[in-house]
Amino acid sequence: MSRRSIVPFGPQHPVLPEPIHLDLVLEDERVVEAIPSIGFVHRGLEKLVEKREYTEYVYVAERICGICSFQHGSGYCQAVEAIMNVEIPPRAEFLRTIWAELSRMHSHLLWLGLLADAFGFESLFMQCWRLRERVLDIFEMTTGGRVIFSVCKVGGVRRDISSDDMKRIITVLDTIVADLKDFERVFFDNNTVKSRLCGVGVLSKEKILELGAVGPVARGSGIKLDMRKLGYAAYDKIPQVEPIIETAGDCYARCLVRLRELYQSVEIIKAAASTMPEGEISVKVTGNPNGEFFSRVEQPRGEASYYVRGNGTKFLERFRVRTPTFANLGALLATLPGCDLADVPMLVLTIDPCISCTER
Amino acid sequence: MGFAEFTKTAVRNLFSKPATKNYPKVKKEFFENARGHVIFDETDCIYCSLCARKCPADAIKVDRNAKTWSIVRAGCVQCSNCVDACPKKCLSMGPEYTPVMTEKGCETYARVPDNTEDN
Amino acid sequence: MSFIKKSPWIIHYDGTSCNGCDIETLACLTPLYDVERLGVVNTGNPKHADILLVTGSVNEQSAPVLWQIYNQMANPKVVVAIGICALSGGVFKECYNVKGGVDTVLPVDVYVPGCAARPEAIIDGVAKACEILQQKLDHEREKKRTRKAVKNNG
Repeated sequence: MSRRSIVPFGPQHPVLPEPIHLDLVLEDERVVEAIPSIGFVHRGLEKLVEKREYTEYVYVAERICGICSFQHGSGYCQAVEAIMNVEIPPRAEFLRTIWAELSRMHSHLLWLGLLADAFGFESLFMQCWRLRERVLDIFEMTTGGRVIFSVCKVGGVRRDISSDDMKRIITVLDTIVADLKDFERVFFDNNTVKSRLCGVGVLSKEKILELGAVGPVARGSGIKLDMRKLGYAAYDKIPQVEPIIETAGDCYARCLVRLRELYQSVEIIKAAASTMPEGEISVKVTGNPNGEFFSRVEQPRGEASYYVRGNGTKFLERFRVRTPTFANLGALLATLPGCDLADVPMLVLTIDPCISCTER
Repeated sequence: MGFAEFTKTAVRNLFSKPATKNYPKVKKEFFENARGHVIFDETDCIYCSLCARKCPADAIKVDRNAKTWSIVRAGCVQCSNCVDACPKKCLSMGPEYTPVMTEKGCETYARVPDNTEDN
Repeated sequence: MSFIKKSPWIIHYDGTSCNGCDIETLACLTPLYDVERLGVVNTGNPKHADILLVTGSVNEQSAPVLWQIYNQMANPKVVVAIGICALSGGVFKECYNVKGGVDTVLPVDVYVPGCAARPEAIIDGVAKACEILQQKLDHEREKKRTRKAVKNNG
């Protein structure tokens, strides 16, 4: 007869980058149930929309999360622009696409590093984060910020990328790809890595559909779900946007999806850079939003949807964001029962949790 | 099944230049248009307080009668929205960050040049 | 390194940060900045740590957690607030669930401004914290010495 015990996990825990609390009900070393409790990062920024002008709220929306900050900003701007029938210049659309894909790269490199750390491969973690710094340098060069960019605004973008800078970015991306090629085999066929990832946390296609998971978690189980196919920003003008899918549905598949998306992002940025038209980067926006809109964007972690309702004043009435981690938490709780306690950090990581997004 | 895939990367790292920036000894080089801190140039300022109204973090205070412009450095989020909003272009962004502080203060710039005080 | 005399061990707690300062703190440990060359070790155990790094503002639920971590740390200890949210609440200070900066809950010794704070700024902050740690240590030794002297004389 095995004994039941409850292990509290978090909010401050060495392997947890972010505060979330899980009560893990164990039978010996096996998890039978996981009860999450959240609220450590809840700020209540949706309510703030009533106190900030809709043009300033972009800077608050960006700070929902520091990892996918650009997509939060652009998702909000898209919604407001749709309400106000603002057509943003094509160059701004392409610039948004480029920055969005660069953030995807930075987020995926960060995640690959954290995953390597979770399965105990310290030097791989360091290597991934070292590559990531080059992406951050691109950000600082083009936007002025390393993490929070503040370049998106209602009606376009605030900064342009010159053709010289664009060339420099492409060369940096080429070096990143070359370096990534060197150690991608560690993720692809190293024995130790495979033994930690293969067959762990398996989620079938049916289970994913039932739980409503999004992003790489869904794509790792063979579901073609990618909001970029909606063709927002300039994604409709780039042919390389095809969802990358794996069918195994385990941690390994989710890892491969993200690794292959890195290469895809480089392709998309290159395609966008070569077809980017010249011209204005923003239009003047006058008046106040009146109406409501749902906008959906594909973040590094999956689909995020933004609901914006304006009432004709400069203060919006309601802003709601459904972030990908919120959708994926169900998938996480489904994978935890039956796993070993030692696998918990890794399972938590493979959905790429972003708690500050989830709790807003 | 693979074996020793990381060796190539490890060996190359062993013989290449260190990636680490020797930060405190070697000064950081900033990118030209990095957003670090707001610089205020009082010569053209008309104290319209547009920057204060546009600040999402309410870090800027402008007193039109006393002709003072003040910023709480500990509250500024470096979004450079005030720089865009300024009609007289007397605000700009410097690439360096505000240095670390041991107490939070409010920096006030008064109209009379020789009366400028940094609190 | 001459500017850091001790090897300070740090513990990091993420308050209600947006992750921005959080990943920048983590980036300090990675090859490009590598604070371990300065003797700074990131530990998960509050009893081992000298310096508490806090990113993000504080809300009702994270305030007691922060207190618990702070109380477990051995004396002398230094608290470093990283990022504008930890300093004053930043853009979120008017949110209903944000209490404000870390100094509403804990005595903060060093403030590292920036949104998000750059790794260089965080290194500067830790260096400053080391100075303050040394001062606190000296102060405590001085107090002990005078107490001993008073005892011997009395």
